[in-house]
Amino acid sequence: MTTTQEPLSTAPHGTHRLTTAKAVAEAIALEMRADPSVLCLGEDIGAYGGIFGATTGLLDEFGPQRVIDTPISETAFIGLGIGAAVEGMRPVVELMFADFMGVCLDQIYNHMAKIHYESGGNVTVPMVLTTAVGGGYSDAAQHSQCLWGTFAHLPGMKVVAPSNPYDAKGLMASAIRDDGPVVYMFHKGVMGLAWMARNDRAVADVPEGAYTVPIGEAAVAREGSDVSVVTISKSVHHALDVAERMAADGVSVEVLDLRSLVPLDRTAILATVAKTGRLVVVDEDYQSFGLSGEVVATVTDVDPGLFHAAPVRVANPDTPVPYSRPLEQVVLPGPDRIEAACRRVLAV
Amino acid sequence: MTDVLFPPLSTQRPDAEGVVTRWFVADGETVSAGQLVAEVQVDKVDAEVVAPAGGVLRVLVPEDGTARQGAAIARVDEV
Repeated sequence: MTTTQEPLSTAPHGTHRLTTAKAVAEAIALEMRADPSVLCLGEDIGAYGGIFGATTGLLDEFGPQRVIDTPISETAFIGLGIGAAVEGMRPVVELMFADFMGVCLDQIYNHMAKIHYESGGNVTVPMVLTTAVGGGYSDAAQHSQCLWGTFAHLPGMKVVAPSNPYDAKGLMASAIRDDGPVVYMFHKGVMGLAWMARNDRAVADVPEGAYTVPIGEAAVAREGSDVSVVTISKSVHHALDVAERMAADGVSVEVLDLRSLVPLDRTAILATVAKTGRLVVVDEDYQSFGLSGEVVATVTDVDPGLFHAAPVRVANPDTPVPYSRPLEQVVLPGPDRIEAACRRVLAV
Repeated sequence: MTDVLFPPLSTQRPDAEGVVTRWFVADGETVSAGQLVAEVQVDKVDAEVVAPAGGVLRVLVPEDGTARQGAAIARVDEV
């Protein structure tokens, strides 16, 4: 059992209070100070500090040789990162929105993800591909997708998606130190950005120094005994809100924050379902052919008898994310849909 | 006693009001010089505010409160 049992966002990890965005930037800065082979590149990551604040302050400290603003050509600069990684550097390359993967996917899944295999294990690609995901702020169909299921489906890449400042900092350190390619997906709604809707779960105390959160380990974000909500990233916040709401009605909701899609902590999924017998999977990616089905199959592959009720999936329906605010709120797996799903599995 | 000032973000409108979007340190906590204490915003531009000196932070403008650029949003009392 690899699950971390500590409640993450509330634990007194340190006296150093940061938003998730600042925690990401701090993790990169600490790794850059410790290891001269770490560098950053991407669109608007230098003077602007990253449009979601993931690289704020790095240009001032490390200069334009190590913090490189690139032209708008994702194929070119991701290819540059792969080349640098193959030659022994540890690049952190930002793809501004995951939605833009369409223009550069060949570099990502045919090269970054496969070079290690194609070389018979002789060449490593120690690269981090960071990218912003998620909706909820009317940015429409081409800037609101999570798409982590797509990256996770393609072999050769680790895929992580933190939900809070502590995990964001620790997972970034792990990603940079990893000798293989890691796709690091930060949801815009967990970054604690001043211009987004206020989110107090996006601010927390973290240790000042460097530390790691292991890739591939889920965490119990809240312990419970009646129903398990298994989820990741921004949806963890909604699940915790629902758990607080339902606790008032005497329902005990356990929230499992997967933190990584690849490797998936199947042991932790089995442990929570064995405990409660009732599963709700919440995924802000498209429902079909994705994470939510994988989580359910993780249980049925081993022991369908663990289920006391049929599991329920709460995900984006298989449709693009609408621009219209009321329509978008219907499509996203928000608290009301999560609570309704919990009540459904509890009714059986 | 040292004032913690709202940083100048808009050169075109130096008298524009901004918002204190986040305090990273609570009223009465001890801070060190250079420590990140707040985040502020004018229109859609945001900026970090660091403690100009060490001491006990006293918040003058609460979260989501408005202030003019250059105005004191907190003070640091020497211990």
